[in-house]
Amino acid sequence: MIAALGRILILASLFASAAGALLGFAAGRSRSLDGLNWARRFAYLYAGLIIGAAFLMEYALLTHDFSVGYVAQVGSRSVPTWVTIVSLWSSLEGSILFWGFVLGAYVGLATYFTRGKYVEYQPDAIGVWLSCAAFFSFLIAGPANPFLTVSPAPLDGPGPNALLQNHVLMAIHPPFLYLGYVGMTIPFGFACAALLKGRLGHGVLKPLREALMLPWIFLTIAIMLGGWWAYEVLGWGGYWAWDPVENASLLPWLTATAALHSIMVVERRGILKGWTVTLVQATFLLVILGTFMTRSGVFNSVHSFTQSAIGPTILAFLAVALLFCIGLLAFRIDKLESEGRMEGAASREAMFLVNNLLFVLLTFTVLIGTVFPLIVEALNGKQMSVGRPYFDSMVIPIGAVLLFVLGVGPALPWGRATSEQVKKALLPPLATAIVFAAVGWFANIRSFWTLLTIAFGGYAAHVTLGQMFLPMLQRMKRGEAATTAFVEGQLSRGRRRFGGYIVHAAVMGAFIAIAVSSSMRQQTELHFTKGQTQKVSGFDLTFLGADQRSEPHRTSIVGRFAVARDGKPVTTLEPRMNQYEGMREPIGTPDVHTTAGGDFYLALSNIDLTNQTTSITVYAAPLVVWIWISVVVMGLGALFGLVPSRRRAAAASQVREPLPEGATETA
Amino acid sequence: MGKKIVLLLVVTLSLGAQTLKVPDAAQFVGQPQGTPVTGAQLTRRTNEIGGLLRCPVCQGMSVADSPAEMAVNMKGQVHELLQRGYTEEQILTYFERSYGQFVLLRPKFEGTTTLVWLLPAVALLIGAAVLVVTFRRLGRVPATSNQQPPTAPDDAYLSRVRDLVSGGKS
Amino acid sequence: MNRTVLFVGVAIAAVLLGILFLGLGKNPNDIRSPLIGKQAPSFTLREVGTGRLVDLATLKGKPVVLNFWATWCAPCWEEHPVLVANARMFEPNVQFLGVVFQDEESKILNFLQQRGSSYPTVVDDKGKTAIAYGIGGVPETFFLDANGVIAAKHNGPMSPDILQANLQKVMR
Repeated sequence: MIAALGRILILASLFASAAGALLGFAAGRSRSLDGLNWARRFAYLYAGLIIGAAFLMEYALLTHDFSVGYVAQVGSRSVPTWVTIVSLWSSLEGSILFWGFVLGAYVGLATYFTRGKYVEYQPDAIGVWLSCAAFFSFLIAGPANPFLTVSPAPLDGPGPNALLQNHVLMAIHPPFLYLGYVGMTIPFGFACAALLKGRLGHGVLKPLREALMLPWIFLTIAIMLGGWWAYEVLGWGGYWAWDPVENASLLPWLTATAALHSIMVVERRGILKGWTVTLVQATFLLVILGTFMTRSGVFNSVHSFTQSAIGPTILAFLAVALLFCIGLLAFRIDKLESEGRMEGAASREAMFLVNNLLFVLLTFTVLIGTVFPLIVEALNGKQMSVGRPYFDSMVIPIGAVLLFVLGVGPALPWGRATSEQVKKALLPPLATAIVFAAVGWFANIRSFWTLLTIAFGGYAAHVTLGQMFLPMLQRMKRGEAATTAFVEGQLSRGRRRFGGYIVHAAVMGAFIAIAVSSSMRQQTELHFTKGQTQKVSGFDLTFLGADQRSEPHRTSIVGRFAVARDGKPVTTLEPRMNQYEGMREPIGTPDVHTTAGGDFYLALSNIDLTNQTTSITVYAAPLVVWIWISVVVMGLGALFGLVPSRRRAAAASQVREPLPEGATETA
Repeated sequence: MGKKIVLLLVVTLSLGAQTLKVPDAAQFVGQPQGTPVTGAQLTRRTNEIGGLLRCPVCQGMSVADSPAEMAVNMKGQVHELLQRGYTEEQILTYFERSYGQFVLLRPKFEGTTTLVWLLPAVALLIGAAVLVVTFRRLGRVPATSNQQPPTAPDDAYLSRVRDLVSGGKS
Repeated sequence: MNRTVLFVGVAIAAVLLGILFLGLGKNPNDIRSPLIGKQAPSFTLREVGTGRLVDLATLKGKPVVLNFWATWCAPCWEEHPVLVANARMFEPNVQFLGVVFQDEESKILNFLQQRGSSYPTVVDDKGKTAIAYGIGGVPETFFLDANGVIAAKHNGPMSPDILQANLQKVMR
C-alpha cells in the first residue's frame, strides 16, 4: 500500500514540476503576473509532493515495511534506529529520493522568499528550478524507483552497507553534501533567468549571491566532513586521496567560490556579468557531472556503484543542460552589458580576476586529472591511473599562489591606485611573512612548499587582520569608544565584510594546518607482543592485549594500547578490526588521540587474538584538528555575513515594486 | 665403493641444482643501478615509492597506505629492492611490467600520458592571455551610456534616487 | 551571437560528453594484463604436502593452465570443481597447475583433501610470484601455450565455458 502511494506521489510530483516549468517559462515570455502566480503554485505543489514522498519512505523504513522495494534492500530489524533513519540516503535509489526531498525544500523556500520580488526574473527562474525537479522526479519514477512493491514481503532485510554503520559521521556527511549540491540549482535558475531576460540588474545580485552562498556553506562543511570521515574511519592516516568522488564534491565548490568573488566585482563595478553567470552555470553543471561520476559506475573509486540505467539517464540530462547553457550564453551573453570599467592592474578588481583565473585553473586541473584515464582508454585502449602524486604536484603550487593573492587582493584598494598607495599596502605585510617563515624554520620545518605557504599565510594574516578591523578603527579615530565601534562597525553594519574576512582568516588557518601537518607527519610501523612498550614520536606506547567484542551486527577484535608521555599516562587507544556479517574482508577502524598540538593515530595492520600479538602503523602529525576547526569557522564566517542587517532589510522592503504588465525593457 | 660415492655425489648435486626460485626483479629490469639504502632513509624511501604504486585490490589507495595483504607484499618487495640497490625507476618499471601502467599513480612522461601534465600548463598560459586581454578591454569606457551607475551594494533605494537625480547618465 | 562562446562551449561539450559516453558500458575495475603475449615469468615452487619442487620451465611442450587461488576466497571454492574435472578431462594434453599465496599449508591440504585434487598445487613465497604475474585478487587464471607464452588471462571464478574458450586459444 505504501509502495503504491509512494509511486503516486512521485508521479504527481513529476507532473507538478513539468507543468510548473512550462507555466514558468510561458509567464517569462508573456510577462503575465497571473501566469507567474500559477507557476508559483505548482512550485509549492511539487515541493509538498516530493517532501511527502520522502517522509513516506522514512515511515516505511522505521516501521520495517519490507513490502517496499527500497526497505527490502536496506532495511533491517537488527540495526540501531539512527542507522534506519540514515538508510534513507545510504543506497542509490533512496539517495535520489533524498535529492528530490532537498530540492523540494529549496524550491519551496526559494519560491516563498521571492514572493513579490524580482518579478522580472522569477518566472524563468522557477521554470529552470522545476525543469531540474522534473528530471529528478523522472529519475525516481523510472530508473531509480525506491517504491517498487515486493511480493511476498520478506520478514527482514540485510541492512545498509557495513561501512556506513561504522561511524556516525556517515549520518551527517551526505545531508550536508546534498544541501550543498542540490542548493546550487537555485542560483542556476537566477543565472539562466538573467540570460533569458538579457540583463543582470543590480536588484537581482543580492538573491543570486545569497542563493549561492548558502549551498556554498553546506558544501564547504560537507567536503570537510568527507575528509574527516576518511581520516577517522578508513585508517590510512590521511584525509584526502583525490578519489574521483572526492573530486566530484570539490569541482563545483571551486567554481562557486570563484563566482562568489566575481559577483562582488559586478556589484562594485558593474563588470564581469557574463563571466559571473557562466561560473554559476558551470557550478550547477559540475554538480550534475559530480552526481554522474558517483552513480554511474564509470569511474574507479571508493564510492563505486554498479552500472545501471541511472548513469546514462543522468548523462543525458547533463548533455541537455550543458547544451542549453552554451546556447543561452552564446546568444545572450552579449546582452549583459558592462556598466563600468576597470581602472588599473594594481587594483582589487584585478586581483579578483587573478583569483578567478586560479580557481578556474584548479577546476580544470582536477577535472582533467579525474577524467584523463577515460580519455586515454578511449584514445588508445590503455588503462592508466592518475593518482595522488599528480594532484598534489599540481594543486600545491596553485594553492600557494592563491594564498598569496588572498593576501595581496584585500590590501589593494578598489579602482586606480597610485604607486605610493601600492607600496604602502603591499610592503609592510612582507615583514610578517618573514616572521612567520622564521617561526616555521625554528619549528624544524624544512619543506620548501610548507615554508612558502606559512610565509604567504603570514602575509595574508597581516592584511586580513588589518582590513578586518578597519571599520572599527575608523570609528575609533572619530572618537567612538572601542566597544561601540566594534559593535556598530563590525557587527551591525559591516557584517558581510567582517564575515568575509573571518572566512579568509579561516582559509589561511586551513592552508597552514594542511601544509604543516602533511610535511611534518611521522609514519612508523611497529610490531607488539602483549605487555610490550615502545617509544614512538615522543610517546610511550604499551600493548595491553587483544580482546574480542561482539555486537549484533559485527564482531570486532580490539587492540588496547596505553599511551604515556614522560612517564605520565595520557590516554588509552583502541584501534579495531571489525568483521561485519556478509562482508569477506574485515574493516579496520583506527583510534586517534587528538590535541590542539597534534594527533597521535593508531591503525591496525593485523592482530592475532590467540597469540596476543599485533602489527600497527602509528601516524603522528601536528595541527590536524585545526584543519577541521578552520573549515567550520569558514562556514560560520560566511553564515555571519549572510545575516541581514536591520537597516538594509528595512530599506529593501520598501523597494518592492513589480514591473507593471506590458512594460517594455529599460536599461 | 668409489662408484657408490660418485653416484651419491651426482644425486646430491642434481637435487641441489633444483632449488626454490621465485620470479625476481633481476629477470626483468636487470642488475641494481643505484646504491643500497639503509636505516631511516630506507623506511622513508619505501613509503615514498609505495606512495607511487597503486594497490591493485583497493580502490585508488596507494601501496604505502593500504592495509591489504597484497599491498603489504608489494611494499615488502619495494623495501627489499631498495635494500639491494635498485633505483626508483627500476622498481616502478618492474611493477609496471606485471600490472600495467594502471599501477603507477603518477602518470609517466610518455606518449599520450604527457598530456595530463601539459594541459594544465597550456590552460594557465591561455588563461593568463585571456586575463591580459580582459584587463585591456575592461579598461575602456563602456559603449552604452544609459545604464545605472555602479552603486553601493544592497542600497536599492539609493540607486533609485541616483537614477532620478542623474537622469540616466553613466 | 557570440561566436567565441559558441565555439569554445561546443568544443568542451563534445569532448566531455564524448569521453563520458564512451566510459559507459566499460567496467573500470576490469584491468587487462600487460603480460599477454609475453613469456610467463619462470619459477620453481614447492608443492604443498609433498614438498616436491615444481619448475614451470619443465612444463613447456604442452599448454598450461595456471590458476592463482587461496582457501579464504569464496569464488575459489566455486571454481575448484570445474578445474579439477577439466584437468582430468584434458590430461595429458594440458597441464593444470595451482599457485596459492597468502595462506597456510595446513588449510590448503585440508581443502584439497576435502574437495579433491587432480593436479599439483604449489605455494608462493611472500607473494613474489603473484607480484611477478600482476595478481590483483584471487582467483586469477593464466593460459600458457606450449612455448610458455601467456595467451590469455581470466579474472574471477572459472566456468566450464570460459575454460573451454580459453583452452582453444592455447591448444593449437
